[in-house]
Amino acid sequence: MGRKILFITTDQMRYDAIGANGGNVARTPNIDSFAANGISYDRAQPQNVVCMPSRSTMVTGQNVGTHGVWMNGVPLPVESPSVAAVLSDAGYRTALIGKSHFEPLLDPFLRFEENRQGFAGATEGHRGFDHMELATHGAAGFTHYSRFIRKEHPEAIGMFFQVLDGDLEVSDVPGGDSGAPQIKHNAVPRDWYHTDWVADRTISWLDGLNADDDWFCWMSFPDPHHPWDPPESELHRVDWRELDLPVGYPQNQAEREAIIDSKPRHWRLWYDGTLVSNYEAPGKWVPATLTADQIREVNAMAHIENELIDEAIGRVLAAIDAKGWSEDLDIVFTTDHGEFQGDFGLLFKGPYHVDSLMRLPLIWRPAPSAGGGIDATARVSQPVGLLDLAPTFCTIAGVQPPEWMEGHPLPIDDADAVARGFERVTTEWDSRQPDGTEIHLRTIMRDNFVCTTYQPGTVHDGTEGELYDLVLDPLQQVNLWDDPERRALRDELLIDLAANFVEPREFRHAEAPV
Amino acid sequence: MATIRSHVRVHRSADDVWKVVGDPTRIVQWFPGVTAVTVEDNIRTLTLAAGLPVFEEIVTLDNRMRRFQYRITGPLPVKYHLGTMDVIEDGEPGCLLMYSTEISPDPMAFVLDGVISEGIENLARMLNDHTEDER
Repeated sequence: MGRKILFITTDQMRYDAIGANGGNVARTPNIDSFAANGISYDRAQPQNVVCMPSRSTMVTGQNVGTHGVWMNGVPLPVESPSVAAVLSDAGYRTALIGKSHFEPLLDPFLRFEENRQGFAGATEGHRGFDHMELATHGAAGFTHYSRFIRKEHPEAIGMFFQVLDGDLEVSDVPGGDSGAPQIKHNAVPRDWYHTDWVADRTISWLDGLNADDDWFCWMSFPDPHHPWDPPESELHRVDWRELDLPVGYPQNQAEREAIIDSKPRHWRLWYDGTLVSNYEAPGKWVPATLTADQIREVNAMAHIENELIDEAIGRVLAAIDAKGWSEDLDIVFTTDHGEFQGDFGLLFKGPYHVDSLMRLPLIWRPAPSAGGGIDATARVSQPVGLLDLAPTFCTIAGVQPPEWMEGHPLPIDDADAVARGFERVTTEWDSRQPDGTEIHLRTIMRDNFVCTTYQPGTVHDGTEGELYDLVLDPLQQVNLWDDPERRALRDELLIDLAANFVEPREFRHAEAPV
Repeated sequence: MATIRSHVRVHRSADDVWKVVGDPTRIVQWFPGVTAVTVEDNIRTLTLAAGLPVFEEIVTLDNRMRRFQYRITGPLPVKYHLGTMDVIEDGEPGCLLMYSTEISPDPMAFVLDGVISEGIENLARMLNDHTEDER
């Protein structure tokens, strides 16, 4: 009998969302206990800051340029390699419960297997998962969760925020008390909400396993990704009026705009509402109109959603303990990318490679029975990436990571990280909008610097960039790209980026906007 | 408004290809996700795999030019749409099938681009693999 693997992901969660990483609003005792008894990674980055590319990296262990899902809407080919298939071949029972998003969600022709299974209520899975029950951020679409709401609680369909407007654009309809975009007071009862549904379905799947089964379960919560519409019964948890503003939000407008103006020009273009280069950000919303109260309320909603996630995790852990599996249980907790949540006066995400979107919570709580010299209270400061997850799962399962995986098993401490060459992590962005707008970013993080170069597109001519000193400027407000004194450093980082970055071999067609 | 265009070379005569493209009821044979079709006068109604209907107006059915044009009229969230299929004899072996779309709002272009590309590939494969008499 081997080690069990519970892989827990959230969607669009910031590094500082949890208590173990300094968060002081949302109460996350279960997640914090992973850190207290495991390894925390203080510089974990995604290889792309939107869902589909990042999740494709998680399941393949590959760079974006290799798996080819270069923007949302580009499906991961069904024949792509999958860590779940590797584990299944090794005798593991495998499941993905919650948000997958390897394939487009907007699929009226039901071309994609995940949507077909969700629509039909089939759970046989694919990509090496022998069980899939899928969800996304509300009741719309063809997921198993939307089927559950449609069949069991049709009166709840209209309770959720309606993400798309009549123009098929992501909606900016204001809500809540402050009129922030994508907030809605949701009358849905808590036990119908997708966070609890994901936990319920996970517990149900685990209950069906044999006591001596080895298993890998990816429990994937759709929150705290917008829209921010947690059950209104839970709003009492955090009073948005009492929240401090984020440290990354310069409250003085002139100061805020000067910081944005020091960055490549698509930052200001988005801030002014002139250019929206990520479909998921409401196309008609102008970030410059964002108020301090709206930032407070958005943050409160995210904190509430994170508390619900933590409590759902607690229920699943109790169910695992009741099955007698806790000693053999490895837990890996992370998210796919971050969220501005008010930093720089922005919300959502896009082609902006700063810590708001790139620095992720990542914790590995090894199985207590594993031993093996693991310091179960380590904090790793060396950079790691989400592409290191798949080979880590293989190692936990006692399987040699296949050669097609491009990451490496996560280090167990900084000494291990240095010894095994965890020096850098790279992140990319490529987008082509229907109006022809193209943006391409290539980023390297190493030696406490983040350096981003912009390839020629319709907004940039290829000379722009960003360079931040994470020690002296942890909020990335001082762009050193054009600082002559940093020119040598910048050149060195760009050479290292070029040597270690995997460029896309082709840009396959996007098959949906998301 | 967004414009998209896909094409495929079919190793059959233009007349053979037009027998399929120029028959609005035969879309069910090659377009992904379409499970049923009815045509009354110039109104075509598709039923998608999820049970959703798609209402279309046939605008052009020109046997001489081998051109078929249609508009989606509902209930997909389309403000303007014109789809055009041209079967072209271009002097090369077989013929060229060109599928052009003008559509608003823009995000629908993503949705249609992929499904149209898959559809005309299906159609070419269907025609290349079987003679008209075998179907």
